[in-house]
Amino acid sequence: MDAGPIGPDRIDRVFSALGDPGRRSLVMAVAARGSATATELAAELPVTRQAVAKQLLALADAGLLRARRAGRETRYEVTPEPLGDAVAWMVAVGADWDDRLARLGGLLRGTAAR
Amino acid sequence: MQIEREIVVPAPPDEVWEALTEPERLEEWFATEVELDATPGGEGVFRWGDGEERRAVVREAEPGERLVLDWEDDGEVVLELEEVDGGTRVHVVETAPDFGTALELHALAWTPVR
Repeated sequence: MDAGPIGPDRIDRVFSALGDPGRRSLVMAVAARGSATATELAAELPVTRQAVAKQLLALADAGLLRARRAGRETRYEVTPEPLGDAVAWMVAVGADWDDRLARLGGLLRGTAAR
Repeated sequence: MQIEREIVVPAPPDEVWEALTEPERLEEWFATEVELDATPGGEGVFRWGDGEERRAVVREAEPGERLVLDWEDDGEVVLELEEVDGGTRVHVVETAPDFGTALELHALAWTPVR
């Protein structure tokens, strides 16, 4: 499944997909196994196969999981890139603003003292 | 997705506004070389010491209160000023640009110049 370009919408989908504890634990479960199907995960978790399948689909839509057909089932694996993009952006841009605002504060402190 | 930062500077909103909108003041804290027409629809060009350049269009400009820039790569910066005891609170929200190819460019362009 193609999650589309790495735009703000996709990043939003990543965060909203991970905002749910059930979906987070599914991502962890898939990551722990390397790959997994809804049937395999439902066997381990206290939820129905249908519920797992629905959540897996949402995670694939957000680009966090990659889906491929395996016989009659869909097998999922984790794609870490979307998280990497989001975190990299937040760290870089946040750090830049920290530096800029510190300079701005220093500048205005200087003028205020005059 | 966005980052949010805040600082209180010891200067009145009018003076902070000048630092946010006058090119020669912006060159003291924001970028190395700045051209900016800080009126709605006005254009801005920001250059950094490493040769990076970003362009923006002013979406909103309420003197002493609020400045909104749209980056040409679809990112957005909202700067809001609020008079508080001892000075002005500067509140910054930067929203993620359209990632795609922009991510690396952005990370480079926003490397602060010291």
